[in-house]
Amino acid sequence: MTISRINIGPVHPSTHGVLRLVADIDGDTVVGVEPHIGFLHRGVEKLVENRMYMQCPPYFEKLDYVAPMSYDEIYVAAVEQALGVELSERAAYSRTILLELQRIASHLLWLGTMSNDLGQFFGMFMWAFRDRDRVLRLLEEVSGARMFYVNMRLGGLVRDFQPGFDERALEVLGYVERRVKEYERFIEKNPVFIERMKNVGVLTKDMAIELGVTGPVLRGSGVDYDVRKDNPYYVYGKLNFKTQVRSECDCLSRYKVRVMEIRESIRLVREALRIMPEGSAVGMPTRLIIPAAKNRIVGVSREMPRGECFVYMVADPQRPYRLSIRAPSFANLAALGEMAKGCKTSDLFAILGSLDLVMGDVDR
Amino acid sequence: MKIDREDLLGKMGEKKKEGFSYLVKITAVDYDKHIEVIYFLRDMARSKDDSIEVEIAPSDAWVPTVTQIYRSADWYEREMAEMFGIEIKNRNARRLLLEKWNGKPSPLRKNFGWGEPYERE
Repeated sequence: MTISRINIGPVHPSTHGVLRLVADIDGDTVVGVEPHIGFLHRGVEKLVENRMYMQCPPYFEKLDYVAPMSYDEIYVAAVEQALGVELSERAAYSRTILLELQRIASHLLWLGTMSNDLGQFFGMFMWAFRDRDRVLRLLEEVSGARMFYVNMRLGGLVRDFQPGFDERALEVLGYVERRVKEYERFIEKNPVFIERMKNVGVLTKDMAIELGVTGPVLRGSGVDYDVRKDNPYYVYGKLNFKTQVRSECDCLSRYKVRVMEIRESIRLVREALRIMPEGSAVGMPTRLIIPAAKNRIVGVSREMPRGECFVYMVADPQRPYRLSIRAPSFANLAALGEMAKGCKTSDLFAILGSLDLVMGDVDR
Repeated sequence: MKIDREDLLGKMGEKKKEGFSYLVKITAVDYDKHIEVIYFLRDMARSKDDSIEVEIAPSDAWVPTVTQIYRSADWYEREMAEMFGIEIKNRNARRLLLEKWNGKPSPLRKNFGWGEPYERE
């Protein structure tokens, strides 16, 4: 038995950014993997300590550049809680809709990159990106920007939905639903995809909790926990949806959780659009001078596309005194070493892909 | 719940037996006079959250490792060690995010200056 050590990354098409893996392999079997991170560390937690409250959302959006809206929202929600700002009902509905649209876009991108990791660049990857763009166009219409929206203000959004947004959103949702059905047929009958996902990267229920994974990875291991359901925020408590849980514990079950979540999100957005009340969703202007914070210490938890994000903030009157982010990708990547033990070298990338990492989120 | 550093391991073990089997995050806050280390725990089955806070002096900044109780504490402890200069006793907390940097002063401490750039080694 000879163990050789190979280096993967930091620039590698399957590492989704700049991640360096040092893998010990025995023949073709992985004995241990050590992720080296920090190539994209920008010190956001420190930077915000020197900025006024509403100067910070753009920093947060760059953490998870695949789902910027969700980071935008969690930060603004933390500030709102600290300052005691109330949300109008329409604003709560609008935010729910935007967050779910963002989840659809993010999961579609994952579907594409996962297929890319398994060697199917010219099929799924391009289709998934095309469909994601339809959703991004909706978000662009709402916010005016294609990727980095900075669309949240204290107490609401920058601007209300344009007239006719409902119809356009419903059309896109119908389109995505049809396409996802097609992709499922395509993927689940594809022996290459199934062979490389099934029984690969098994993470049992107990291990998932012990290693602290989160989001679809946790639910793919049979743990029924979704912040939207177990600790509802905005209007998730009023809407009708199910937490998606699969108990096969492998990469394929993570894929299934994500695909089912796209469907569940489509259903959520449809329902929210139907019952959204009239009124205004517009928040306060940014230049508003903010009185002293009401709550010094706040903690906000949100279910992001990649998993649970938790922001803990100690608030000063004009700026955060300390802000700590529990990033979902960070929690999931920490479990990689354990999950990859004993797998084949080529499966390492299937496992890495199934974690849905964004390196900006890991390094912060 | 605020406890002493010496009681930390006992209390964490108790909490885990009570059902708080999921560690959400370990982080710290520098309040100038003291540093507060916070452990966020969760009971998945009952959807209950809890936290344990430990106050330590900046001049004597160390906490015992909790990796033998919560395995997921590994990366959070490493991150905290390099960001706050808190020593993690009983384990080798290698650098995680800032591998190539000598790490003095610790970036998330309040005495880290804003003006001058810091050189890496």
